[in-house]
Amino acid sequence: MIALDLALAWAASAALALVFAQAAWHKLRDLEGFASAVEAYHLMPASLAPLAATQLAAAELVLVGTLVLPPARAGAALAALALLGVYSAAIAVNLARGRRDIDCGCTGPALRQPLSGWLLVRNAALIAVAAAAAAPTAPRALGPADALPIAGGALAAFALTLAGNQLAANAPASRALRARSPAFGARARSAEVRA
Amino acid sequence: MTDALLVSNALLWVLVIALALLVLALARQVGVLHERVTPVGALALGRGPRVGEAAPGIEAPTLAGTRIALGGVSAQARSTLLFFLSPSCPVCKALLPALHSVIAREDPSLRLVYASDGPEPEHQTFAKAHGLELAAYALSTELGLSHHVGKLPYAVLIDAAGVIRAQGLVNTREHLESLFEARERGVGSLQELIARERGGSDTLTH
Repeated sequence: MIALDLALAWAASAALALVFAQAAWHKLRDLEGFASAVEAYHLMPASLAPLAATQLAAAELVLVGTLVLPPARAGAALAALALLGVYSAAIAVNLARGRRDIDCGCTGPALRQPLSGWLLVRNAALIAVAAAAAAPTAPRALGPADALPIAGGALAAFALTLAGNQLAANAPASRALRARSPAFGARARSAEVRA
Repeated sequence: MTDALLVSNALLWVLVIALALLVLALARQVGVLHERVTPVGALALGRGPRVGEAAPGIEAPTLAGTRIALGGVSAQARSTLLFFLSPSCPVCKALLPALHSVIAREDPSLRLVYASDGPEPEHQTFAKAHGLELAAYALSTELGLSHHVGKLPYAVLIDAAGVIRAQGLVNTREHLESLFEARERGVGSLQELIARERGGSDTLTH
């Protein structure tokens, strides 16, 4: 296996840490809401959902801490990969069941995101990032010039993930808007006839 | 040469981050615009008994083992809010606190009736877990069919005379409030209100 440059692996780790920090922040702010989202996935008895929700949020927090800790970094990246795999599997199972209307639970109560194929694409991209972070690296000393790709790569990747989430959350409203116009006119006309 | 590359690289990173943030800001703005253009009112689906018509008179069994009369003139001169829900609907669950607080604010004398259908044990557990009054929890397939309820959570506001005053699919607190707003203004749904204020269909079919 070709060894990855250390700066690239660090950039990937930092990006993942940012993504998980934001995800954990949303989950902890509304743990009850996240628990009902977990329950809605119908993958475990409802009584276990609150416990699972707490543990998922805690796991994400631990990942944030360990992903930026040099000795634990590679291991944490593998754990992140596994967690993303679990999320993807849960989404895929419910997509296969045709349950597209449940909330993903990814982005908190403010930004409801129904299940869609896009979430699998997003997770696949994050899994690729996690794989890069976990890849074996050639040992070398990091210099000041490495700060640029690490900080820049992590920030840009994080901002793009957020933008993608926002666009996915917009998608249902956007579809509804396109679908609504004719029916909306028809309703208005029928109201006029009755008046 | 190395210096030049370093400077060029730094500049590129700055630009890449700026662009990513710009994309994020644009996506957020689209989200805000969607919120603004979507009508806040409960969405009336346009089938079943209409606003202004009498609500179907039905006597439905409740979880408490009693029967509850719906439709017709109320002896206590109270309005009724029929809230169609299901234990397997997360939005219904999430909406319950908002439902109770909206009623407490808009019309405390209102009679709130939960309506659903399906196997009873599931509903018993659900009602107990959420502290819902068992005698106000109607379990009747006929009730849902008579109101043509397709999607949940669905709410129907019936006045003391047994006439439907407002109804629609409710997903948020704003949708619930819009039912009361629609009743006060004497229009069936907020879409209808918007249509009236804009003066007919011409401006809407674009």
